Amino acid sequence: MDVEIHNLKPLAVASEKNNMKDIRLLLVDDEADFRQAIARRLAKRGLVPEQAQSGQECLTVLAKKSMDVVVLDVKMPGMDGIETLGHIKNKHPKTEVILLTGQATTQDGVEGIKAGAFDYLTKPIELDHLLSKIKQAHEKIMHGEAQQREAEFRAKIEQQMIATERLASLGTLAVGVAHEINNPLAIINESAGWMKLLLKREELAGMPRKADFEKAIHKIETSIERAKKITHQLLGFVQKQNSVYSQVNLAELADEAIQLVSREAINREIKIALQPAQTLPYIRSDPYRLRQVLINLLTNAIHATGSGGQITVTLEGLGKDVMMKVSDTGQGIPKENLEKIFEPFFSTKDPGQGTGLGLFVSKGIIEKLGGTITVESKLGQGSVFCTRLPQYQATDRDQTAEAHGRFDVLEKIKGEIVS
Amino acid sequence: MIKIPTRILIVDDEKDFVEMLSLRLAEVGEKTTPAYSGKECLKVLAQQEIDVVILDIKMPGMDGIETLKEIKKNFPLVEVIMLTGHGTTQTAVEGMKLGAFDYLLKPAEFSDLSAKLEAARKRKDEHQERIRKAEVKLLLRRSGDI
Repeated sequence: MDVEIHNLKPLAVASEKNNMKDIRLLLVDDEADFRQAIARRLAKRGLVPEQAQSGQECLTVLAKKSMDVVVLDVKMPGMDGIETLGHIKNKHPKTEVILLTGQATTQDGVEGIKAGAFDYLTKPIELDHLLSKIKQAHEKIMHGEAQQREAEFRAKIEQQMIATERLASLGTLAVGVAHEINNPLAIINESAGWMKLLLKREELAGMPRKADFEKAIHKIETSIERAKKITHQLLGFVQKQNSVYSQVNLAELADEAIQLVSREAINREIKIALQPAQTLPYIRSDPYRLRQVLINLLTNAIHATGSGGQITVTLEGLGKDVMMKVSDTGQGIPKENLEKIFEPFFSTKDPGQGTGLGLFVSKGIIEKLGGTITVESKLGQGSVFCTRLPQYQATDRDQTAEAHGRFDVLEKIKGEIVS
Repeated sequence: MIKIPTRILIVDDEKDFVEMLSLRLAEVGEKTTPAYSGKECLKVLAQQEIDVVILDIKMPGMDGIETLKEIKKNFPLVEVIMLTGHGTTQTAVEGMKLGAFDYLLKPAEFSDLSAKLEAARKRKDEHQERIRKAEVKLLLRRSGDI
């Protein structure tokens, strides 16, 4: 997986450009004349500080409004600078403090740095000196924030990588299992088929208990079908990792999917309507996989809806995203099942009727395509499956599918219809 | 009407599969020959007349795609139906671009296999018929020249 570390650069650049106006500064000194003089001169350089005349007031200001830098006189009546510094570092660890000490008390400054001050200046102070110290302190804060953001970003990427790796190892396992099972399955299939042919021979016309053999062979054949469905779906789940992207017209795609399931819907007297949006952006995605998801959602809806029911496919543009909803008027999903329906092998259908992989595979596909799939349901009223897709999903395997985009797609889907 | 058997070469490293499919196809009147590797497949093709090859994609040593390339290079008229237990239709698409007639996912539906075998055989027969006619024309023109 390619991690775009260069995303972090703008953060570092921002701290270099730190504008004087952006520095939130608090000036604390009990000598009002001195304090105001400094404040005026700082204001001329574009930095307007807040002011406080005691340690207590300083803490009150900080409690209301967070500050980047506090310039703090050490020698004050009541709570002195060192004590104030202790409170500041305790309650506002991100705020940097510059101490102002008298010439005779530089020892206080050293103590202050040990207690967490950024630096100290000795009175009388030079304005340029003070300014450059303030800037340095501010840069330190910006740098710390950038580092924190970087750490958060890395943590997020790491989590994504773990998820991706899990999915990949599951995929590898699935391919292995599916392949290993398909081969013996094929042997069983041919053996049963051969036996069936043998039983049709004239010489076996009068064979005792022939019907029992035929019944057993039939059971073998339906079980092969059942096992085949599972392995093919597992392979389908893995296949999505090799998505082929192309421009997709969702309305066309939805129409095709509806056509593919229409026979089953007609048999059950269910109507399927398509409500396309007025204007829907084309999206770049994997049309084959999306079709698979849609057919899956439609098939589920058909199975959940009784005769006379209605299924509606709604398409909507949401800014740059597109929304595809499949709603039915079926039996609905009980609350306790809502969380489980996307889990693998969860099915409420009778054994052999559903593999319990359809929604699991669909969710995997949609997430791989950069989208989300959610469900809302009311018992007795029906369910809505809501799929949201980005207009464009960047991918390292981004390739155009024009060459074989529509290659036998319908035939393949028919073979792989998820139930 | 007597069925003319299709001469089928079944290539798969799964011996049991080759055996059972051969028996089944023989039961419906086809003539089958087994091969258990890509190399063996090419050897058989060099020795006897084959209409259709049923070729497993995933085999140790020379795999299905490599074998397919060799078949198309050396025996262009022989039709190939690919069998894939791997489910990756991507490989099947690649195979068809290389000249395979069609593909089937393992385990295959016998009716699908039969239909594809017949279509492949038909395509080969028609192709050979066109070659024969072209040869006759060529022969007539030559004799006309004399």
